[in-house]
Amino acid sequence: MPVAPLTFTGMRGIAAVPSYVIMQPTTLCNLDCTYCYLPHRAADRRMPVAVAEAVAATVNGWAAAADRFSVVWHGGEPLAAGAAHLAALMAPFQGVEHHVQTNATLVDDEWCEFFAAHQVRVGLSVDGPAHRTGQRVDRGGRPAYQRIRRGIDALRRHGIAFAALCVVSAPEPGLADELYRYFLGLGCHALGINVEEQEGVNTRSNARSQEAVRGFWAELTRAWRADPRIELREVEWAVRYAGAVLVDRADEVLPRQIDPIPAIGYDGSVVLLSPELAGFGDERHGSFASGSVLDTPLGEIVTAAVTRPSGWIAEYLDGVEACRGSCPYFGFCGGGHAANRFFEHGRFDGTQTNHCRNSKIGLLEGVLDHVRHV
Amino acid sequence: MSDTFDALAQRVRAMGPGVADLVAEAEATWLARAAQSGQEIPTSPGWRPFEDAFPTFFQFTNRPPR
Repeated sequence: MPVAPLTFTGMRGIAAVPSYVIMQPTTLCNLDCTYCYLPHRAADRRMPVAVAEAVAATVNGWAAAADRFSVVWHGGEPLAAGAAHLAALMAPFQGVEHHVQTNATLVDDEWCEFFAAHQVRVGLSVDGPAHRTGQRVDRGGRPAYQRIRRGIDALRRHGIAFAALCVVSAPEPGLADELYRYFLGLGCHALGINVEEQEGVNTRSNARSQEAVRGFWAELTRAWRADPRIELREVEWAVRYAGAVLVDRADEVLPRQIDPIPAIGYDGSVVLLSPELAGFGDERHGSFASGSVLDTPLGEIVTAAVTRPSGWIAEYLDGVEACRGSCPYFGFCGGGHAANRFFEHGRFDGTQTNHCRNSKIGLLEGVLDHVRHV
Repeated sequence: MSDTFDALAQRVRAMGPGVADLVAEAEATWLARAAQSGQEIPTSPGWRPFEDAFPTFFQFTNRPPR
């Protein structure tokens, strides 16, 4: 008797309520990393408190109805907004977890006291040891590593936990083991690996040798398996999916719907689904912003996108369905991200991207390669 | 699509006990982290579900499946 083909049922349409929002307290970043995708990062455009109040008017209701809800302060460099201003922006929110994603260069004793007082969860952007961090420089071209380390030292002095996000521009064997050992020594409790993406103002190609990419992920899997104290985001996700495949539950792994991920720009503009699209648009669709919280409640902006998707969002949803119908890795990935599609293909309804190959397909295959070579 | 996914699934299953061993080790890790849930976030490498660290992964949990 023929077996019915599996059609993945997750990631159908956009959820009416997100699980987190991203806030841009300032466009400014004090660093000028060569791979950064953010426009306007040399300008200090700060979010008015009125924007935070408008966002909180919706978010507080979402948070009250959820087990947990996060507000992620992202930049620019969010600490460049200053502690007093960041505190004023946080003040309207109730019942949420605050997270900050920082380059650590501004972290000092006062900031550590701020994190503790406001119960802020800290994520750092750290790319590895000094000789692996040459792309992280300030506007004078000076290396940022020592300033990053001073910030980390302050966090450790104060006993403040931190996760790390590591950008890898050239994934290849030989690098993964070194990075994992470095992060074990650094003291982070969790690690995410972001293979450099071609997006925003970073127009460098992210086409990579798939043999090297798979070798990188296989080596990282081996390193984690030998000492799994760090939560290793990508590898653990891939292992979980492989386990689901083994027991015929691959269709249960993805979320049922796509998280709308509202990203609120400094000026109140709202971009859904891919924060990297903030500040961008194209001739066909105009600005990718779905509205402004200064004009329309955030809940109404999200509801409109969910119930009446149009423009680039409708095109993106077509792209997700195209991935569902054509890619064997859909159950693992859930469809290419909107920003990767746009910045690599110029449209939202294309399918496989270099990002897919580097961070999804190569990842899963690398984990399997590890098993094969054990 | 089903054929290509099926091919991937068959490839995973055909790898013998290696994948199952890796998954079992990972699940033991996740269970150990879950046993510590509710405690303070460790200030050194420790056991945590990763949505605690990456809210952008709330939708992708590594909590123990059972």
